[in-house]
Amino acid sequence: MAKPVGILRFLGTNCDRDVWQAVEAMGLTPQWLWYEDQFAVKDYQGFIVPGGFSYGDYLRCGALAAKAPVMKSLGEAAAAGYPVLGICNGFQILCETKLLPGALVRNESRRFIDKWVDLNLVNPTRWTSRSQGAVHLRLPIAHGEGRFVMEEAELARLFDNEQVWWTYGDNPNGSMRDVAGVANEMKNVCALMPHPERAMFDWMGSEDGRAIFSALLQ
Amino acid sequence: MNADELKAKLAKYRLSADEFEQIRGLLGGRDPVGVEWALFSALWSEHCSYKSSRVHLKKFAFKSPRVLQAMGENAGVIDLGQGEKVAFKMESHNHPSYIEPYQGAATGVGGILRDIFTMGARPIALANYLCFGEPTAPRMQALVDGVVRGIAGYGNCVGVPTVTGQTEFHSSYNGNILVNALALGLVCGDEPIVTSPARGVGNLVVYVGAKTGRDGVHGASMASESFGADSESKRPTVQIGDPFFEKLLIESCLEVMQKGLVVAIQDMGAAGLTSSSFEMAAKGGVGLKIHLDKVPLRDSSVGPEEILLSESQERMLLICEPAKLKAVQDVFHHWGLDAAVLGEVVKGPEIELLWKNDVICKIDPKMLTDHAPMYEREYKPWSAKHKVSALSVGATKFPSLVEQMASVQGTSREWIYRQYDQRVGGKTVRDCEDSLAAVRLPSGRALGLVLGCRPAVMRMDAQVGGYDAAFYPALELNAKGFEPLALTDCLNFGNPEKPAIMSEFVAAVEALAEASRELDTPVISGNVSFYNETSDGNVTSTPSTGMVGLRESISGIPASHFVKAGDEVLLWRLPGVSYVSDMRGEVKAFTGELDPEALERWFDEVRAVSPKARATRVAGKFGLGYTLARMCTDELGAKAVKGDWAGATPAWSTEHLYEVVLVGDSSLMAAVKAACERSHSHVWRLGTVEKGPLTLDNETTDLKTLRQAYKTGWSKHFAQLA
Repeated sequence: MAKPVGILRFLGTNCDRDVWQAVEAMGLTPQWLWYEDQFAVKDYQGFIVPGGFSYGDYLRCGALAAKAPVMKSLGEAAAAGYPVLGICNGFQILCETKLLPGALVRNESRRFIDKWVDLNLVNPTRWTSRSQGAVHLRLPIAHGEGRFVMEEAELARLFDNEQVWWTYGDNPNGSMRDVAGVANEMKNVCALMPHPERAMFDWMGSEDGRAIFSALLQ
Repeated sequence: MNADELKAKLAKYRLSADEFEQIRGLLGGRDPVGVEWALFSALWSEHCSYKSSRVHLKKFAFKSPRVLQAMGENAGVIDLGQGEKVAFKMESHNHPSYIEPYQGAATGVGGILRDIFTMGARPIALANYLCFGEPTAPRMQALVDGVVRGIAGYGNCVGVPTVTGQTEFHSSYNGNILVNALALGLVCGDEPIVTSPARGVGNLVVYVGAKTGRDGVHGASMASESFGADSESKRPTVQIGDPFFEKLLIESCLEVMQKGLVVAIQDMGAAGLTSSSFEMAAKGGVGLKIHLDKVPLRDSSVGPEEILLSESQERMLLICEPAKLKAVQDVFHHWGLDAAVLGEVVKGPEIELLWKNDVICKIDPKMLTDHAPMYEREYKPWSAKHKVSALSVGATKFPSLVEQMASVQGTSREWIYRQYDQRVGGKTVRDCEDSLAAVRLPSGRALGLVLGCRPAVMRMDAQVGGYDAAFYPALELNAKGFEPLALTDCLNFGNPEKPAIMSEFVAAVEALAEASRELDTPVISGNVSFYNETSDGNVTSTPSTGMVGLRESISGIPASHFVKAGDEVLLWRLPGVSYVSDMRGEVKAFTGELDPEALERWFDEVRAVSPKARATRVAGKFGLGYTLARMCTDELGAKAVKGDWAGATPAWSTEHLYEVVLVGDSSLMAAVKAACERSHSHVWRLGTVEKGPLTLDNETTDLKTLRQAYKTGWSKHFAQLA
């Protein structure tokens, strides 16, 4: 039987059930990973850090979650090449743990934004390995701090290294060079601000999120 | 106590001389002492006791077989069949939101969520009904900004999507805005519905959630007073919310309930620990022994009276068996929360409050709950002042379509709902952009939610407005194929001691009650907010509602806009009330009357025909022209002409209660015609959907102009809000 997909839960995570629903919709088996616990990396086929407001976004988005015990195991999984996906707050957490480059700061509008956006694939990664050539996705965003920033020179290197995963068609939050999602150098750890788990069925308004979760299909 | 001292005491505790005499009677002839003053002040406040409205709220005492819990519990619950149940309720947070908009609105959301998960239901949807003053009124831009940020800040963080809303503007709200929040929760399979009556002598009283501070002390009695010039000084009575804490409380409370560890539970809302403990004891017919010094405090200097009245947020009181305490505490600790034992359930009837082992109060809780005063405030039977035998518009100037679209009444509310997470939870089928919200139930069916009450109609006539608060949302649901099931209300009115206000209250409540009986949609929960007035006058009487409906499938819900060029555009009407609103959306006179029984029959026909329509839209404010303009897309407009459906008043801006626009292929007309014969309603062909502009008779407006007016109107009125 296929190994389960580990879904991390911190105090305040609130897209955990949505991701569970999405993983099940792909015919995969989800399993919770509680923030206080470490886990055996080899028991899982991949990991997802869902969105939400871990620790109420206190201190700085993702900063407190980054210090939780479960992240030690996740770091091992990342180093060992397992697929790791961060969504929204999950993206922020992965940046805070330095598993991904850059940082996410307050939207240019200084307001939370909920809307559908168009994304363009810049470089394929482990998480688009089975997307059957999908280069444009329509997914919803819902964040107050999703503006991707880093040093200009570093960002240029990120593009050169093919670590920029998705860019926005119509930049909603002021992200530098329209960056919506990035990957680590090995391309196994990836994250994006939009929510693929909210675009899994026609009735949700789009099924494009499947292009991402399909990466876990054997 | 001499007369001056008594007067000062009564003023401090906001009790009347009559009420003081009643209290003395209940206490066997003696004066209240110590904390008793504070207890009577809080629980006999309008906010907690409903003393001016209880007599009339009994008119809602009607149930359908679906009702599992109605008034009297934290929220009403209805059975959807297939093992699914929903709890929902709407509540006002008007006064705090005017004083401190961010926290006022945020804690309004927090409070209504607690009412829902207290019942064992997982919150899955939020909605808000907002009434603001004119954009040019003092502080109004900041109030709009603060309220929207507050709702967003709380709802987004706690992870419950805001799926629909209604926002109104009128000068009567300039000094007293309305902020009503609705929450809806789901109970599935064999998950328990948990109620509040305390039971079982020897069971423990357990406090969970955030620590207690001074915030919100006397909040309940503050909310029961009119606003004066000193409203700024009331800021310390506004509570501070913490949505992160609430999220932990949701998860931990649902877990202890689903594990069967809880006998009873209630949130600490208005009047905090006092109302929760006294109501739980009174309902259960038991006594409680509570050690106030065991209440976890944020600040050790907080004394017993403040502990009793604090409205610190994110706190719950629960009763559990001693043997299950450890398991309860384990769950709360898992979620990073504390659970402190305050005391125990004792043989009734008295509640004993202790402070460092001294009994500071021993009193029968029923004196404060069941024996609270109930007033039959003066009112007059309703007479429709603005009703005329025929409408005439004279020299009234009417707005053009573009002016309507750009007006503060007509412009897009996108600036508001962009700030709300509408999709967290993965259930949203229709969001704030639509005329109704729909969420997917685990069974695959769709639950619809629509808010009601149109203040302009209320200003026209409180009785018609009361009917409309139920019929309008019911028609919205039916037009999308949802069967309306039940509703909740939030009755926002002025000073009930004024007969003119009380007359509007009674007229609206009676009309709403009649409509709900006719529709078989019982009012299962709600709240009354009186004293919404300032020195400049009363707010528009505003009985806001939230109605839920059920649809067997999530697929095939008609759109709310044009879908295909060449489709026929039909107007389907059941004649009733009609009127014309002016530039500011105001109505001077109306004609005709509503027939609730006929409406209910027609609504059933509308629901039955709706699957055959590609799009439907209930005609609302500004009449048919605005409705058709709202159905236009970037590419699709329509060509429509006046027919014998039009009367002497301007055809495209006369409003009719009720009419609905249906769009579909050429087979739709026959289906509607057949339904008309069964329901004494009428259908006309208005025209066709076309690629290109919107043409009403000879007047053509290009789509770009319409969309532009609709989308940019907001920023013209709210230039200060980026």
